[in-house]
Amino acid sequence: MLSYIDPGAGSLILQALAGGVAGVMVVGKLYWSRVKRVLRLGRDEPDADEPRP
Amino acid sequence: MVETSRTPTSLVLEPGSFRDWDARVFLGRDRVYRALSEAGAADWDALAESDLFEQFTASGELVATERAGDDVLDEIQRLDPAASWVGALSHERLPFVSYPYEWSFSMLQDAALLQLRLVSTALEEGLMVKDATPYNVQWRGARPVFVDIGSFERAREGEPWVGYRQFCMLFLYPLLLEAYRGVAFQPWLRGSVDGISPTDFRALFTRRDAFRPGMLRHVFLHAGLERRHADRGSDVRGELEKAGFDRKLVAATVENVAALVRRLRPRPGASTWSEYDQTCSYLDADTAAKEEFVRRVVGQRHRRLIWDLGCNEGRFSRIAAERSELVVAADSDRAVVDRLYRSLRDEASTSILPLVVDLADPSPAVGWGNAERSTLADRGLPELSLCLALVHHLSISRNVPLREVVRWLRELECEVVVELPDRADPMVQRLLLGKRDDAHPDYSRDTFERELSSRFDVVESVELASGTRTLYHAVPR
Repeated sequence: MLSYIDPGAGSLILQALAGGVAGVMVVGKLYWSRVKRVLRLGRDEPDADEPRP
Repeated sequence: MVETSRTPTSLVLEPGSFRDWDARVFLGRDRVYRALSEAGAADWDALAESDLFEQFTASGELVATERAGDDVLDEIQRLDPAASWVGALSHERLPFVSYPYEWSFSMLQDAALLQLRLVSTALEEGLMVKDATPYNVQWRGARPVFVDIGSFERAREGEPWVGYRQFCMLFLYPLLLEAYRGVAFQPWLRGSVDGISPTDFRALFTRRDAFRPGMLRHVFLHAGLERRHADRGSDVRGELEKAGFDRKLVAATVENVAALVRRLRPRPGASTWSEYDQTCSYLDADTAAKEEFVRRVVGQRHRRLIWDLGCNEGRFSRIAAERSELVVAADSDRAVVDRLYRSLRDEASTSILPLVVDLADPSPAVGWGNAERSTLADRGLPELSLCLALVHHLSISRNVPLREVVRWLRELECEVVVELPDRADPMVQRLLLGKRDDAHPDYSRDTFERELSSRFDVVESVELASGTRTLYHAVPR
């Protein structure tokens, strides 16, 4: 279920960052999984999770 | 306790409540009704059982709400047959609606802190607030009231604070604009119903400003991330959840933002009239006579709504509040209004609503269809208007001809107490300085009295001791 206002993708990352050290770690993991996905994409078919553009 | 609602005689759709598809607002004569979708009704059930609802309703910070009778739902379904409303709520109707572009700095700040307190309390109870807009806050005099019951929903694990961006655009950036730049936020909010975007706000600052509290994170980084993600349809919400984002993080973010908001202070620069009361000693003799005049008119009967236009420090608003339900105290000087608000807040006053209003450029109708937010007059005309030390400012500083001033007064459709300083008055002389000698040929007591008596019956007029000022009590013809 999505909210009725557009939260803004960048804003969502920022609101996590503003949550202190734990937030920075969560955002770190988010970017790390993006890196992993890019590496994997180099080898395989696109991930089923890959969001639509 | 609120009584169970009676059958509403005639409901009207509130034109500004269309954004959320899970709730829609209808106005009744004495109550406000909210239609709920199935999801909206389930969210209401969760809220109604919470301690948050009980606690904030008891403190008056949440609008008094109960489930409406089936007759209300029937009428709503008749009015809006295309939608599938399954429930309805009935709210108390607050006496006067105002918008954030009419609030002073401390008002927006207190509304922001209420919004944040609601988010953090909601989190503790498995609820979430789905948006963060100051339009969901109204005022009981000088006390903020959160009115959008439809904003509360059941929290979902891993859900971020989706209202953060909206909070920045409509609460935080306007406050930072005044606190760090000394620029009034009111015209910006009035100019854009959605507020100031991170990218636009970032452009107002230089890199050196990044060292000020909150700027690096909430402005610079925020704008940068927004730019990076502008054209990517990535599922950040899902990614955050997978990375282990949880409710505790939202609470930490909200606390971080609240700490920032609490430390901000207004920096309104030089205010022309905030020292007015101290500098106008020559008017001391007149003040007592003015107070007595106002007290006499106000004491004639109980009134629902009085406007004090050009309220300054609120001396006459306080007198008017002795015999009325609500006084809207309006002044164009935001520093003056902020000072009045803070003193009313400290007294826990609920009978005076201070607003920043420039009468020569009053709030227009804005938003979708020009109907989302209405003009000041469309939100309810008063039964009495006080216009003390006002006419010369409109007529000389703002070049509104006296004839126009009186025509406008008549359009308020109410009794007026109006003061006219003549050309010999020291304040009028000061305003005329720098203008041509033959400026404002219409500005005279004769013209004013002629115009006034063409549209009003003058009940009483008194010349004040200074000899340059006259007070009139007039009722519309």
